[in-house]
Amino acid sequence: MTGFAVRAENVSRRYGQRTALDGFTLEVPQGGVFGLLGPNGSGKSTFIAMLAAMQPADSGTIEVLGKAPSRELLRRVATVFQENTADPLMKVSDYLRFSGRLFGVAPAELRVRSFQLLERFGLGTRANDSVASLSGGMRRRLEVVRALLHQPELLLLDEPTTGIDAEERSVLWRELLDGSEATTVLLATNDLAEADAVCQNVAFIQSGKVVASGAPAALKAGLRRESVRITLTGASPEQIASIASIPGTGEIAHDGNSLTIPTDDASMLVPKLFALVPAAIRSVTIATASLEDAYFQHVRRRTEGTSK
Amino acid sequence: MSAALTLARRDLMTVVRSRSQLYSSMLTPLLFLVLLGNGVSKGLQPSNLSAGNFTAYLVAGTVVMTSVFSSTFSSASYYRDRDSGMLRLLLSTPHAPRTLLFGKSLAALVIGVIQALIVLLVAAPFVDFEWQHGVPAGIGIALAAVVLVNLMLTGLAQALASRIQTMQGFHLLMNLALFPLLFFSGAFFPIDDLPTWLRVLAFVNPLTYAVDALELATYAGNDDGFIGLGIDFAVLGALAVAVYVAGLARVPKVTWSGE
Repeated sequence: MTGFAVRAENVSRRYGQRTALDGFTLEVPQGGVFGLLGPNGSGKSTFIAMLAAMQPADSGTIEVLGKAPSRELLRRVATVFQENTADPLMKVSDYLRFSGRLFGVAPAELRVRSFQLLERFGLGTRANDSVASLSGGMRRRLEVVRALLHQPELLLLDEPTTGIDAEERSVLWRELLDGSEATTVLLATNDLAEADAVCQNVAFIQSGKVVASGAPAALKAGLRRESVRITLTGASPEQIASIASIPGTGEIAHDGNSLTIPTDDASMLVPKLFALVPAAIRSVTIATASLEDAYFQHVRRRTEGTSK
Repeated sequence: MSAALTLARRDLMTVVRSRSQLYSSMLTPLLFLVLLGNGVSKGLQPSNLSAGNFTAYLVAGTVVMTSVFSSTFSSASYYRDRDSGMLRLLLSTPHAPRTLLFGKSLAALVIGVIQALIVLLVAAPFVDFEWQHGVPAGIGIALAAVVLVNLMLTGLAQALASRIQTMQGFHLLMNLALFPLLFFSGAFFPIDDLPTWLRVLAFVNPLTYAVDALELATYAGNDDGFIGLGIDFAVLGALAVAVYVAGLARVPKVTWSGE
């Protein structure tokens, strides 16, 4: 065993003229939730498809649970796709029985696991209902129940909460994270707030490459820790230029009458702002640095680096 | 094998729940039998048919027509699975795609055979079958013919479904290919007195041999004027195996996003 649930080294994959993965290198430690973050088309889904042995790499090496991806290995891996896979014509219990059998779960164990997981994910009373009668959020929970039936060591989640409301999202993550499964979760998402909340480690993906990876706190560490957003009326260009020259501030973002100013310490900055433009400030909002800030900082750095 | 049987069982249950599919593939051929059979028997009085009347004559063709409808409907499950996302789930299991295809075609085969036999059994009391080989042997021969023709049609439908992107296109092509074959198979009228070029078409038509075998199994008093069971089963057996294997040759492809 390598100590890593997933290892990828210099993996590349092209579709005709389009490059999906380009020298993709990543190590996912065993246990916990690891986030793959990137915009649509960045290569997240291509990489997960390779882990699930549904697509080969053109070059490079991939290890899943210490072995090359294969169909046999899928007995130890589960996948939750971005879209539902349950046949609406089937009953919930039939769907789980069918899925579990395909992954080799014994009938007696399957009955127990189905019952326990349906209860845990709040679907215990819906076992005999048709899949078509479930709400969107319930169907997403059913997909996770289905994926956990065979107690996978690696759970691949491809944007599992797309299109569901905040409450359903919260229920899904709470039950998934509170479970007793010794499962490594690899989450592909472009929801940075969700990743910040649930992931122990993340990797930022851009144009088929990993541009940064690590714990969210570590990725935020190099940033200005806070940002101050002020709304101004009647401020002169000279006054705005003087704000930009305040020591300890980062690059200012303009949005109409609003300015967002990254800073190490908002409590020191705000009095200086009132001293510089006392009559023009209409509102002040202070925010701490998020994973989104870290993401944009790394992605922007990369873009600037490649454009030179 | 266990995975294939699991999949076959699930497809069978889906068809049982889908009443419209279950009944329509049998009712349409039975309506043909009752309406067309009685209409032509009474209105045109075809006296030179070896079956004695047109309704009895139509039975063999109706059974083959049922198999055509059933295989077409069953293969539509391929499209339903693709559109519902189930196909992606199947391809993310530890089983080879060909095993999964085998399971699906097994279900289609079982459904087709059962529906064809139901049509035969429903028709039997109303027509005067002679059962020249005796009832048990006749039913055995009919069963063998029905299994082989369904195997062939299921393989054909599977081969087309894995290559045609849309269900509409699939149905169009199946109808385009199979209805002319059905007409020149002896299902609706004897092929003996047709012009030579049509007889040639009939003899290169695999459904002709299925109709012939079913006629010989049920109403024929002797083998005169028929192709013969030996040739029927040789042609049907060879084609059924070849087409079925061709149907399993191409495994379904689905992208991660399900397209």
